[in-house]
Amino acid sequence: MTGAPDALTVVLVTAAATFVWRALGALLVGRVDPEGAVVRWFSLTSYALLAALVVRLVGLPTGSLAQVPSAIRLGAVVVTLAVWWLTRRSPLPAVLAGSACIVAAATLMAER
Amino acid sequence: MTRPEIRAATLGGLRAAAGVPLLLVGGGMSGFGALAHDIGFTGWEAVLATVAVWALPAQVVAAEMHAAGADLTAIAIAAALTSMRFFPMAVALLPTLGGDVGPLGRIAQAHLMSATSWAFMTRASVPQEPGPRRAYHSAFTITCLSVAAVATLAGYLGAAALPAPLALGLLFLNAAFFMVLLADSRNRQALLAVVLGALLCWPIHAVLPEASLVLAGVAGGTLAFVFGDRLRGAA
Repeated sequence: MTGAPDALTVVLVTAAATFVWRALGALLVGRVDPEGAVVRWFSLTSYALLAALVVRLVGLPTGSLAQVPSAIRLGAVVVTLAVWWLTRRSPLPAVLAGSACIVAAATLMAER
Repeated sequence: MTRPEIRAATLGGLRAAAGVPLLLVGGGMSGFGALAHDIGFTGWEAVLATVAVWALPAQVVAAEMHAAGADLTAIAIAAALTSMRFFPMAVALLPTLGGDVGPLGRIAQAHLMSATSWAFMTRASVPQEPGPRRAYHSAFTITCLSVAAVATLAGYLGAAALPAPLALGLLFLNAAFFMVLLADSRNRQALLAVVLGALLCWPIHAVLPEASLVLAGVAGGTLAFVFGDRLRGAA
């Protein structure tokens, strides 16, 4: 398949690609070891893919975030992880602090 | 099992969802709504994505790749790879919800399940008996899904109407959520996969931008699987 698909097709294909795993799990209950080697490879691969996604979103942005200089994006990453660490792994303050960095930097840039 | 028991479990699930889980789901999905707006989805398509996919990473992967001009096959492969985690989650969770619902009931619960609900269901305060447990899970997840749909639309409209700096902040939410989620992995083999995936993405992206997510994911995950076995369990 080539060419850009329309958004609705993308949504439906993504839904199918996700649903397959849920349904497969529902049908194979009791016949698969949740701690087995294949399942471990699954979860490691999804972790690595998610990490690559963060790199794409923050490090190699294609959309509006590209307007924010890379140093500021990197700063927001550092702040997110630092706040997460300092608040004993609470996700909400970390996420809010990281986004606040972007908002603050973008506001300052807009004023200049 | 009696009706009052089921009712109490349903209320329990509602009440458990109406705290941090709703804030997390609301924040994450409003970020997705903003991203969907940024790349030219309609509001309706954004909400449909949340309800039908119901997996933030797959939604964001698909939106990001679609924006980058990837074709349907590449998007399907990447989305399937991020959603593989639902397979072991379903295998572990569904038997605890009772076997008397038939395959369709099971599949419905599997669709409602999310990483957040899955983590919640491991808590000791959740009913252990299958009937009430299923009521609890349904109430918890349907609450989350409803709020997620509203939050997606709110993020979408917010990205359109809010001042540009705030809209950029909404967009950053996605990445921030995933970072925190990944940093929270308690075993070193998973952390190795995260580091490898992040590092490999750069050189692969320079050569094959369309396939960088899938290749970095598979390469990072496989390397961590092969060489990180001794790290397993350590934290």
